[in-house]
Amino acid sequence: MATHAQEDMVKNYRYVPEDFMKHLMGTLGIVSVLVLVLAGLFGVPEQPPLTIQNNAIQNPVAFEAMTTRDLNGQGRMANYGPPYNNGTGNLEFVFQKWVGVLHPLNAENDFIIKPLRMAATVNPAITPPLNAFESASPAQQVAWANNYETALAKGTVRNGVVVVPAGNYGPVPALMNDTLKLGESGLMSGALIRNPSVVTRFNNQNYQLFLEGDPLHNAAASLQLKGTQWGIQHSAVVGYPGAWWMTIPTWIYQWPFVANSPAADAVALSIGFVFWLALALTPWIPGWNKVPRYLGVYKLVWKDFYYRQTHPAAGKGDDTRGVS
Amino acid sequence: MANWTTASRKALTEAMSVDTWLPEKMPEYAQGFMYMLGSLTASSFVALIISGVVLAANGPASWSYNGADRFAAAVHFWSVQAFFFFMMLHLWRVFFTGAWRGGRRETWLLGAVAMIVAIPTAFTGFLINGDFYSQWNAVQAKDGLNALGLGWVNLPNAGQMFGMHVVVLPLTLSLIIFGHIYRVRIKGVVPPYPITQEAATSKEAK
Repeated sequence: MATHAQEDMVKNYRYVPEDFMKHLMGTLGIVSVLVLVLAGLFGVPEQPPLTIQNNAIQNPVAFEAMTTRDLNGQGRMANYGPPYNNGTGNLEFVFQKWVGVLHPLNAENDFIIKPLRMAATVNPAITPPLNAFESASPAQQVAWANNYETALAKGTVRNGVVVVPAGNYGPVPALMNDTLKLGESGLMSGALIRNPSVVTRFNNQNYQLFLEGDPLHNAAASLQLKGTQWGIQHSAVVGYPGAWWMTIPTWIYQWPFVANSPAADAVALSIGFVFWLALALTPWIPGWNKVPRYLGVYKLVWKDFYYRQTHPAAGKGDDTRGVS
Repeated sequence: MANWTTASRKALTEAMSVDTWLPEKMPEYAQGFMYMLGSLTASSFVALIISGVVLAANGPASWSYNGADRFAAAVHFWSVQAFFFFMMLHLWRVFFTGAWRGGRRETWLLGAVAMIVAIPTAFTGFLINGDFYSQWNAVQAKDGLNALGLGWVNLPNAGQMFGMHVVVLPLTLSLIIFGHIYRVRIKGVVPPYPITQEAATSKEAK
């Protein structure tokens, strides 16, 4: 094996003087100028986030549809699965189940009931519908929420309140309009980012996940950021580069059998990992590790060296061989 | 291994030698722009560290209300673009020149590991930026990690992402890059392929 490697390399080459420190300072200088100029000219792309407050103000009916789905278990997070809860909505792979619930999230309680309990201390009118909802059976709660979610298709906004045709919704319309008000106030984010044990607020999980579902997906679609739109490749601000180094995994996501798989993420990332393995193990893969030899691009890289080899007179001037 | 100290002294003598790190001579074939790409990648990483330290010293989201920090964030953003840009060019160069030959397979492997670790390093940076791109990708990409059983890394938790981006991943990446460059220095840059197999063999026969 060693002999073979020897055969695949030239041996008759010289060492030439080199100022390595100058080389390093040179590349650092090039990069420094490059990034300073680019930063000065183009700044940094920032697309304002979608806040709960903005979403509540701009799309009140859709906002209530989203929060209602936290009550009937149809919301993306309500029925997600590990590591947030024991749902099955986003359960792709057995590994996911083994991990268990590491970051507990109960959408109904954490997103709706607890924030409303806090808001009720400021506005006691919230308490009666909240009590009515909590004292009803789970089946009744889901039935009310299902009815209300359906009715929201015909929902309109009147005097800042979402109104639907009359029906059997129990206290749900009152609760959802209170949730909407809380969202519009801007206080919802504070109600979601809570940990009474510490004063730091590093963990914003529930704030980020509150809008998971239609609000975030619709906002992302209009910016070409969804997975099916080669999203990670795109910056949120048109004209800027995104994470273009994710081209191969993003491409895999577009393959029809991957895109249509219920475990699209697990499949795409696993295939992407195989691609990386093929790259990482290139030196050990027979045949594949010979490809550059046959492609011949190396002839361009070492053009000058080969020229000197075949024209010995061209390379004279330094005879420090084989030492460094 | 009889004496661990002796073995460590031997290894460190080479690892800490100026001859290893600051060569005054290079092989004649290792010249020109193609042989700047690795250093340009490493230089971009230095720019990332410097701008990153400035950002970390001022605290998350300071760029959103402080112009100087916003400039540091812009430098950080373009540095990561430069880092991957030069890394990809370097990757093409080392691939097309079969740079794993002659006992350099581990060097290649370390480079490949550096590349795959660089991806989450950059990604967690995007996640703690706090704009819509952060928000969307934190929520969207969580599904992939969760599906693979890596749910302990909770992308929507900006606090965890801050620690990952500022300490865990760059420290890991720095060590891998160090190992990669160390092996490049110890093993030297791969010599060219013989122009033709026959020519090389006949030369050696003489």
